[in-house]
Amino acid sequence: MRPLDWVVLFGSLAGIVTYGLYKGRGSDTVNQYLLAGKTMPWYAMALSIMATQASAITFISTTGQSYVDGMRFIQFYFGLPVAMVILSATAVPIFHRANVYTAYEYLEQRFDAKTRALVSAVFLIQRGLACGLALYATAIVLTVLLGWPDWITTVLMTGLVILYTVLGGVKAVTWTDVQQMLIIFAGLIVALLTAILLLPGEVSFLDALALAGAAGRLNAVDASFNLRTNYTLWSGLIGGTFLALSYFGTDQSQVQRYLTGRSIAQSRLSLLFNAVAKVPMQFVILFIGAIVFVFFVFEKPPLLFHPVELEKIRGRAEFAEVDARFGRAFDERRSVAMGFLKAHRAGDPVQTARRVEEYRRAQKELDAARAQGAGLAEKGNDTNYIFLTFVTRYMPAGVVGLIMAAIFAAAMSSVSAEINSLATVTVIDIYKRHVRKAASDREYLWASRLGTAFWGCYAMAFAQYGRELGSLIEAVNRVGSLFYGAMLGAFVLAFFFPRVRGTAAFLGVLAGEAAIFYAHLFTGIAFLWYNVLGCLVVVATGLAVQRAAERGRMRL
Amino acid sequence: MTTGPQRDEPPPFWGSWRRVYLGVLLYLATLIGLFWAFARAFTR
Repeated sequence: MRPLDWVVLFGSLAGIVTYGLYKGRGSDTVNQYLLAGKTMPWYAMALSIMATQASAITFISTTGQSYVDGMRFIQFYFGLPVAMVILSATAVPIFHRANVYTAYEYLEQRFDAKTRALVSAVFLIQRGLACGLALYATAIVLTVLLGWPDWITTVLMTGLVILYTVLGGVKAVTWTDVQQMLIIFAGLIVALLTAILLLPGEVSFLDALALAGAAGRLNAVDASFNLRTNYTLWSGLIGGTFLALSYFGTDQSQVQRYLTGRSIAQSRLSLLFNAVAKVPMQFVILFIGAIVFVFFVFEKPPLLFHPVELEKIRGRAEFAEVDARFGRAFDERRSVAMGFLKAHRAGDPVQTARRVEEYRRAQKELDAARAQGAGLAEKGNDTNYIFLTFVTRYMPAGVVGLIMAAIFAAAMSSVSAEINSLATVTVIDIYKRHVRKAASDREYLWASRLGTAFWGCYAMAFAQYGRELGSLIEAVNRVGSLFYGAMLGAFVLAFFFPRVRGTAAFLGVLAGEAAIFYAHLFTGIAFLWYNVLGCLVVVATGLAVQRAAERGRMRL
Repeated sequence: MTTGPQRDEPPPFWGSWRRVYLGVLLYLATLIGLFWAFARAFTR
């Protein structure tokens, strides 16, 4: 990072905080603080929803994933527009008419207090863990690349977020999300254009596509059906729809964004904007990763992108041999890539087919050498470091600062919405419902502020101690899918099965959770399917229990 | 409980929400088709 980059980074951070404090003025009632007085226009909610979902680690690791595995991850988002349409038609009018602060408050209106308490508790556990983890994962990557101690990254990001979220509530969160999303858009466009401009002069854009495609990096759609494969057209359309329904329909960190809408129509438009814009945005992020891949066909990449791990393995006896193998494989791949491009430009199909085979063989050898290098390291998975290595080493001054600002913005926008929603559930669903039922508005406002500060500090502390979790990190990382299916099932019962009462729904949620944990621990089913499974088990159990109760076989 | 407005209005374009939803789903189908064609055009 050069001086101009620091100016851009800190200028952006200062701008975010100042704007958040300015826009958050007047949040002096609970309704203003938690729902912005239901005055938000659709475009502010739309960008806030998008910014909340786009965490820094998504930004960083999606590009790396495309570099390593191609663009198949785009299929993960195919269910999102379907879910947005379903939620616009169902959840949005129901939540608005129920006049609630939280999605779980509606569950008590529809079922009973214990179902509301159970689902609220599931949300607090799940979102609390995910918030701390996302912060930890972001801090650890930025720390390695910026050379700061990780506590500085964590404290800087969370401290700024706590400042404007505690003071300005949901208004500050939403308007800073808008600003942060604009920084993210700018960062993405500049990153894509700069990556294309950094390609060697003799490699055109179409050449780059040919090279990325021949190496399998443009494999955006896989129509095969396999329950054990994470990203296919079907897992994306079916599992992705259930995941997006759960996330946008039952997770307070998202529901609260569109509960602030000034009308049902405005809230619907905010979701439908995401339905239209999210998939192309993810395509651009993945495409950047594919272009970075082509860039490193001609520029020698490090054996490992994780700089600390690379330094560690340099001392190993096997390093010289592995590094030499990697160097030979890189030279060979660059040479056959040029041969492939010559045949491709000449339009000779026989030569092109032959060269493609050579290019793929060379790629395989390079991948094998990289895998051997990764095998020497304690933490060989360096996917999260690929994009930022490219940015910090090769991008011009100013652009690096802008992209770093975009990554900080992505992290901060997610954390602000998460601590804001965690505080809302803590105050509305726990404190106001079970601890102080008839306190003044002022007391609930201060409880909300304290709750926001508490969850911010909790996320910071969790991020600090994240490394102590060791191998648990991987398990907890998929924490959303372990809970979302059951939460969605509760809302499906509430929306579509009016006969089902509270106890049947409560038992359904418990059965759904049991089914998901069974699938997670004892089967190899890909995680996107957990949401489908959990939801179906909740609905089936809820209906069965209700039916048994109505027939007098069970007393509820 | 909040006291905010609960108005339901028609969409600003295409006359009904049903048409807007259909438009979004057709858009998704088109995107998937384009991605498939894109992958096919450059993956040998």
